[in-house]
Amino acid sequence: MYKQTNKFDPDANSIVANAGSYVIRIEDNACIPFDEANTDYQEYLEWIAAGNTPDLAD
Amino acid sequence: MSTIAVNAITDASAGNTTSINGVTPNANNVVGKNKIINGNMAIDQRNAGASIDTGQYFNYTVDRWVAFNNVGTGKYTIQQNAGSVAPPENFASYVGATSSSAYTSLGSTDSFNLYQRIEGLNTSDLGFGKSTAKSITLSFYVRSSLTGTFGGVIASNNRTRTYPFTYAISSANTWEKKTITIAGDTSGTWLTTNGIGVELLFQLGAGSGLLGTAGQWASANVTGVTGATNLVSTNGATWYLTGVQLEAGSSATEFEHRLYTTELQLCQRYFEKLSGIVYGSYIGSFGASYATWFFSTEKRTTATMNFAGSTGTAQNISTQSADVYASSTYPRIGAGTTASAEL
Repeated sequence: MYKQTNKFDPDANSIVANAGSYVIRIEDNACIPFDEANTDYQEYLEWIAAGNTPDLAD
Repeated sequence: MSTIAVNAITDASAGNTTSINGVTPNANNVVGKNKIINGNMAIDQRNAGASIDTGQYFNYTVDRWVAFNNVGTGKYTIQQNAGSVAPPENFASYVGATSSSAYTSLGSTDSFNLYQRIEGLNTSDLGFGKSTAKSITLSFYVRSSLTGTFGGVIASNNRTRTYPFTYAISSANTWEKKTITIAGDTSGTWLTTNGIGVELLFQLGAGSGLLGTAGQWASANVTGVTGATNLVSTNGATWYLTGVQLEAGSSATEFEHRLYTTELQLCQRYFEKLSGIVYGSYIGSFGASYATWFFSTEKRTTATMNFAGSTGTAQNISTQSADVYASSTYPRIGAGTTASAEL
């Protein structure tokens, strides 16, 4: 299970919901970046391809 | 003092085995010849020498080495210097697997092994997949409470090409040095990127559907050798390993002992653990501020972060650094935070 993350926009001085450049793997709170060479992200893509959807950010 | 000025030095047969002070220099035994990182098992950032039960698929033991187990807990443990025996001469560390049960009825796809995946950027010189592929030589020290034929596999990314090999352990509980030379693979697709270039795998147990024939390249996903010993089938059996070297060429040269700092930096391209604490500034109500951990070594790829004892929200993760941001408090990245870019 994964969940999306928020992003802080320093120019607007505000938080953008679900716009983070990584997802959190809930089982161990790992932050997994959107980089296709990252093996954890490869697993995430397989999980998405299986029809799953990440939770929204807190 | 005299000077030798010649164009070539050959041995008595005009060959290339001339030695100088016991060392035979050749194009492959220069610094950096060993494709294996942490082959002397000296660095254990994750576990600091503690034993782990290999209850997951990927159980990270000493740096760069993974103890694989797709069955579950209670099959074998893995530990730096398990059993506290004396390492081979000129080595200070080893990694040891200990069987936790007599698991004899392996399913066809059951797999237990210790592997290291070598980055393609470090194996491009081998020329695998081309007609000019170089031979490689694997050497290592091994010690087991069992005797007999043991197995391993050299593989490409996703194991689309594999070369099973065997080695014999003739004396129980005795360090033995093994050397295996393998003709380079002229077929298949071998990555020369930051993906998996070559995988080296030592079999600790493999089901019937994962066994191959030793001594030949094949397009088959295997993790073991037909007839080889399965460590996990004997309760309490031990298997220890160190001095692993994989080099270009048809002969094994002396193990490349690198400086500790050099070896640590090589490991940190794939995994790094923060031992200190990184604080950012508190800027009150004026917005968010950042704490940034600049990695000691650039990572193979953007790292997976596990923040420990940290305050704030992760952002700006890259191959070189990672941030957390916070408002109305000090952002902090705590000791024990890790960055992982393993293959």
